Amino acid sequence: MGFYILTYLCIAVFIGATGCLIYRQLNLPLHVRWEIYPVRHETTAKLAYGGSYMEEVNWWNNPYKSSRFNELKYMVPEILFLRGLWKENRSLWRVSFPLHFGLYLMISTFGLLLLHTCLTLWGFSAIAAGGAVNFLLSVLIVSAGWSGLILGNIGSLGMLYRRLTDRELRDYSSFADYFNILFICLFFLSAFVACLSGDPFLEGAKAYTFGLLTAGSSLNRYAPGQNVIGMVTIVSASLLVAYIPLTQMSHMFMKYFLYHNVKWDDLPNRPGGQMEVAIKNNFKLKPTWQAKHIGANGQKSWHDIASSAPKEMK
Amino acid sequence: MNRRLKPSDIASVSDCLCHIGPGELTPLPSPYEDFNQIALSPLKPEKIKNIETSLDDTVAIGIPKPATKEEDEALVRQFLSGLKKLFEKENNWTFLQPLMLSMEHCAKCQTCSNACPVFEMSGRKEIYRPIFRSEVLRRIYRKYLKLGGKITAKLTGDLDLNWTTIARLAELSYRCTLCRRCAAVCPIGVDNGLINHEIRKLFSQEMGIAPKEIHEKGSVQHLRVGSSTGMNPMAAKDSAEFIQEEMEEITGYKVDIPWDVEGADILLLHNAGEMLAWPENVGAFAIIFQAAGISWTMSSEAAGYDAVNYGLWYDDVQFSRVAIKHADIARRLKVKKIVIGECGHAHKALTVIADRLLTGDLNIPRESAMVTLEDIVMSGKLKFDPGKNNFPVTLHDPCNVVRAMGIVEPQRNILRKIAPQFREMTPHGVENYCCGGGSGFAIMSGYNFAEWRNLVSSRKKFLQILEAFHDEPQEVPKYVCAPCSNCKGSIRDIINYYHAEERSSLYYGGLVELIVNALDGMKKPIIRFGDKPSWE
Repeated sequence: MGFYILTYLCIAVFIGATGCLIYRQLNLPLHVRWEIYPVRHETTAKLAYGGSYMEEVNWWNNPYKSSRFNELKYMVPEILFLRGLWKENRSLWRVSFPLHFGLYLMISTFGLLLLHTCLTLWGFSAIAAGGAVNFLLSVLIVSAGWSGLILGNIGSLGMLYRRLTDRELRDYSSFADYFNILFICLFFLSAFVACLSGDPFLEGAKAYTFGLLTAGSSLNRYAPGQNVIGMVTIVSASLLVAYIPLTQMSHMFMKYFLYHNVKWDDLPNRPGGQMEVAIKNNFKLKPTWQAKHIGANGQKSWHDIASSAPKEMK
Repeated sequence: MNRRLKPSDIASVSDCLCHIGPGELTPLPSPYEDFNQIALSPLKPEKIKNIETSLDDTVAIGIPKPATKEEDEALVRQFLSGLKKLFEKENNWTFLQPLMLSMEHCAKCQTCSNACPVFEMSGRKEIYRPIFRSEVLRRIYRKYLKLGGKITAKLTGDLDLNWTTIARLAELSYRCTLCRRCAAVCPIGVDNGLINHEIRKLFSQEMGIAPKEIHEKGSVQHLRVGSSTGMNPMAAKDSAEFIQEEMEEITGYKVDIPWDVEGADILLLHNAGEMLAWPENVGAFAIIFQAAGISWTMSSEAAGYDAVNYGLWYDDVQFSRVAIKHADIARRLKVKKIVIGECGHAHKALTVIADRLLTGDLNIPRESAMVTLEDIVMSGKLKFDPGKNNFPVTLHDPCNVVRAMGIVEPQRNILRKIAPQFREMTPHGVENYCCGGGSGFAIMSGYNFAEWRNLVSSRKKFLQILEAFHDEPQEVPKYVCAPCSNCKGSIRDIINYYHAEERSSLYYGGLVELIVNALDGMKKPIIRFGDKPSWE
C-alpha cells in the first residue's frame, strides 16, 4: 500500500504544482505586445512569408482573423516531433526527440493502462480475457510501452552524454541540470530492466494501475515492488511525476503560455473592448522605481507618471 | 584574458574579461581582407580613468566606479532592489509575464547561439552568447531573491555578486541589438532579447544608468526640446522649408510640406534624424503624398515631428511618456490615422508596444508607411518609369518592421514594381539579420563603441550586402534600400568604415527615394550616385 500512497501523493503534487503554475499565469496582468513573426495563427496567405494583418491598409477596420487550423498545423509537429529543434539544432534533436517522444509514449502507455483498468472495472464484456478489445489494448500497451522505453533510454542517455561532452552545453549546466537528466535516466533504465527481466507484456504495470484506481486491490497475483528493480521503477516514476512541474522541465506544458501569451499574442486593442479595461487597471498600479527621472513615490500611479515629464526637465 | 568563460566568471577579477584579437572576427572576403587583422582601437586611458571598462574592448555606458566600499555596497543593494521590482506587477506589469516565462523555462540547449550575429561574428566570444547574460541574471535572481537561494545556488548555478558583476552586466546589456533572432529560433519560446531588455530597464528605472545618447540626449531631450536630435519646433520647420526648396529643384514644381492641418487624413511621423541626415527622404514622402493627392500633415508640436521612442530600448516609463505624447498630438489634430515614416523602432513602438498603453481617444489608428506607400504605388495614381532605377537594388529588412510586426511584403511589392534589378539578401524577411545598429547602437558612438559596432555587430549585415551583389562588377553602382533611419545610419557607417563606396560602389538610401526616382515627370533624379547632395 505504501507504493500506492507514494504515487497518490506524487500525483497530488503534480496536480497542485501544475495548477499553481497555470493559475499564476492566468492571473498575471495584461502585458504589452511582444510577438514575433511568423505568428502561426495568421491566415494562410500571410503565414506563407511571416506577414501580419498590419500589412493591410486601415487594418483596424477589418475583423481580427485567426486560424486555429494553421496554429495546429504548426503546433502538432512541434509538440510531437520538435520541429523547431529539427530545423535549428539538428544534432541536439537526435537525442532530444527520442527523449521527449519516449516520455510522450510513456504518458500514452499510462493512458492506455487507465483505459484498460476502467473497462475492466466497468465490467465490459469485450475486455474479458481473450476478447478482441483486450487483445488490441494489450498490443497497444506493449507497443507504446516498449517503444517509449527504448526511445526514452536512447534519448536520456544521449542527452546526458551530450551535456557531459559538449562544451557549450557543459559550461552552462549546473548540478540540477545533470540531476534532472539522471533522474529521467533512472526511471527509463529501471523500467526497461524491470520489463526485460520478467514482465515483457507489462502485466505488472497493468496490475499497478488497477491497484491505483482501486486503492490497492490486486488484478492478479502481481504485487508491486516484488523486486528491487520493480520498486525503483515505481518510486522513480512517481517522484518524476511530482518533480517535473517543480523544475524548468515544466516547459513541456508551460510552452503553451510562451507561445500563445507572448510569441504569438498579436491581439489588437480595440476601442471599448475588454482589453481597454485591463489597460486602465494597469495604469492604476503604483510603481516604486527609484531612478530620479521616473519620479515615482509609491503614491503616484503609472497614469500620473506616464503623463508627467521626467524629473531632469523640471 | 582569453580563456573559456562561464557565467560565473562575470564576477572574476580581470582588467578585460573578453578581448577580440586580430584575426579572430569572421573573415571578410576580397577586397576587404585588409580589415581581417584589425582589432579595436584601445580605449584612451585618460577617458576611462574612473569608469568601469573591464568587460571587453569597448564601452557603451561609462559607469563611474564607486569611490568607497560603502558606495559599492549601496549600489549592489540598489541593483537587487531593482531586480526584485522586475518581478512585481506594480513595477513591471508591462513585461512581467514574458519575463517570468523566459526566466523559468530555458533548457540551455544553445539553439539561440547560432542565430545571434554578434556572437557569430565576434568569433563566438562567450560573453556575447545570448544565454550568457540571461544565465547571469537567472543565477543572481535565484541566489539573492529566492527563498533559500544561497543554499540552492550550489545546485542550480552559483555566482558572486559584487560591483564588478553589476557594472559588467550593465555594459553587457548593450552588446545585444535586441534583434530577437534568438527568440525566433528558441524551440521553447524563451526570449533572451527580452531578458536583455529587462536588464537595461532595471539599470535605467532603478539606478538611473543608461547610455547618455539614448537617455539624456535621447528620450529626455526628445521630451524637453521636441526631438532627440536637439531640433526645436522652429528648427524643424526651417528644415522643412529647406527641404521643400531642394525638392522643387528635383520635381520642377512647388512641393509643400503641410504643418498642423487639423482634420487631415494622415499625420506623418518621421524620425527627425531624417530631416538632418537624409532630408531627401522627408522630401520624397512629400512629393509622393502630394502627387497622389493625399490629405496629410506633419505636427510642429514638440515631439510631434520626431517619431523616435528610445524608451523602447531601455525604459518603459520614458517609452510611455513619448507614446502618449505622440498619440495626444494626433488626437488634438483630429487626424484619421498616424502613418509612421521610415523608422523601424518607431513602427514597433507606436503600433505594437503602445497598443496596450493607449486607451479611449488616444487609441488613434496607426499604420506603417510601407503599407500606405504600397497602396499609393499600386493604385495607379502615379506613373513610373522603372528604367530610371535600372541598377542593382537589395532590401534590408529592419527587425522592428519585419520580425516584430510582420510587415514583409508591402515594401517588396513596391520594389518589384519600380526596381527591375531588385534581389533579396540571404536570409531575408522575418529571418533577416539586424543592421548591427539596433536598440540604440546606431546612435551610440562614445569611446570606441562605433568601431565595435562596425567591426562586430554590423559585420553580418555587411557580409550579407556583399553577398547580395557578389555577381555584379565592382564599378556598377549598387543600392542598399534600408527603410529605417537607424538601419540607414548603420549601413552608412559600414560603407564609410570599410570604404565600400570606393571598393564595391555601394550606396544606400530609403524606399521613398527609389519611388520618387522612378516617378515620371521629375526634372532631376533624386538618386545621384557619387554626387555629394547639396545639403552636405
